Amino acid sequence: MLIKSLIEYINIFNMKKIVFLLTLGICFTTAKAQNTAVGNSEKLVYTATYNMSGILNDLAQVTMETSKVRTSKATLLRLKCTATTYSKWDSFFKIRDLYESYVSPTSLKPYLYKREINEGGYYKYMKYTFKHSSGYVKSLKKKKRSDGTIWEENKKVLINHNTNDLVTTLYKLRTIDFSNMSSGQSKSFKVIFDNEEHTVNFKYLGTETIASAIGTKNCYKLAISISDNNVLKGANENLLWLSADANKIPIYAKFKIAVGNGELKIKSASGLKN
Amino acid sequence: MRKISIIIGLISAILAVILSVLPLSNLAYIPAIIALILGVLSIYLSNKEGKSKKTIQIVFLLSIIALSLAIYKSIFTTVEVGNTEELEKREQQSEQEAIEELEELDIDEEDLEDINNELESLDNEDLNAIENELEEIDTEDLEIE
Repeated sequence: MLIKSLIEYINIFNMKKIVFLLTLGICFTTAKAQNTAVGNSEKLVYTATYNMSGILNDLAQVTMETSKVRTSKATLLRLKCTATTYSKWDSFFKIRDLYESYVSPTSLKPYLYKREINEGGYYKYMKYTFKHSSGYVKSLKKKKRSDGTIWEENKKVLINHNTNDLVTTLYKLRTIDFSNMSSGQSKSFKVIFDNEEHTVNFKYLGTETIASAIGTKNCYKLAISISDNNVLKGANENLLWLSADANKIPIYAKFKIAVGNGELKIKSASGLKN
Repeated sequence: MRKISIIIGLISAILAVILSVLPLSNLAYIPAIIALILGVLSIYLSNKEGKSKKTIQIVFLLSIIALSLAIYKSIFTTVEVGNTEELEKREQQSEQEAIEELEELDIDEEDLEDINNELESLDNEDLNAIENELEEIDTEDLEIE
């Protein structure tokens, strides 16, 4: 009798142990499922080309970097994007743009976004401080007047609970599992840009093999469109190819805007997570 | 016809030279090739009509200069990023400012520490429970013996 109860007890103990291990496993998987693609010391370098009368000209270098940022309370991930014109263009049209986003390393939830544009004398600065619990963004806009002085504008923009900034959206896109998606299926993201909330749609168009500077890669092909906005022209003419591996890094992009069309080609990739 | 082809050829050749000097040297190929084609056409027409070919020689000369420059630039000029010192300084400054701003922000601690907290709570609760159970089993085993 005693032996029987002991066996039962051990069975209960084992069950508890199994449940504990399972919970631990699930806990790990859910935590990982949020961001398994973006590392904390990644550097992706791209060449931006612009189509002029059918001839592509290398215009600028675009870099996308990630790094850890430590505050007294937490450790955040800094997503930094810069655009720099090649030296031959500097005397004609110098671009030095800086886009930054400070996000949670696990969920890629944005807390602070900064955009500083310096394009041939044109200057614009935007800062969004995300107040997720209150459902708004504290926005600061700075612009240069023609006389060189700078004016400021403070605004409170109401946002949805899942609204991100532009940079975060680019990185969050990489957390989507495209392997389970069928061709023609779409994913939408709410993006705040220039104090307005837009819906950016990414339509999955299947896989394609792309030859790039980092080798021939099998890629997920996506068509980008923005609802209620005509910045991007044409249907399925703004395309993005993400590597069909665990990192899902952007390999190649094609865009068509009002003033022409261009491409973004990968030059190098380092510090990848997988 | 001869005059028109010479005028258009000359304009194209001048445009090709201008473009080849600028960073847009890749674009110089189009007017340079147009100028060459019109130059050949002008020579043919001049021969037919028995007229002077001096202006056509200038068209050829200019388009060859433009083509040579464009080819030289596309082969020997490497694309490189200009001075980014100022941008790098701004990046560092921006990071410092951001850290100060983030200190003031109410960062969702659940979001940042969720894994650690969950693991810690799991560790403490479940390990304590398991330890208690093991102790109980041990005492019961001893009693059986």
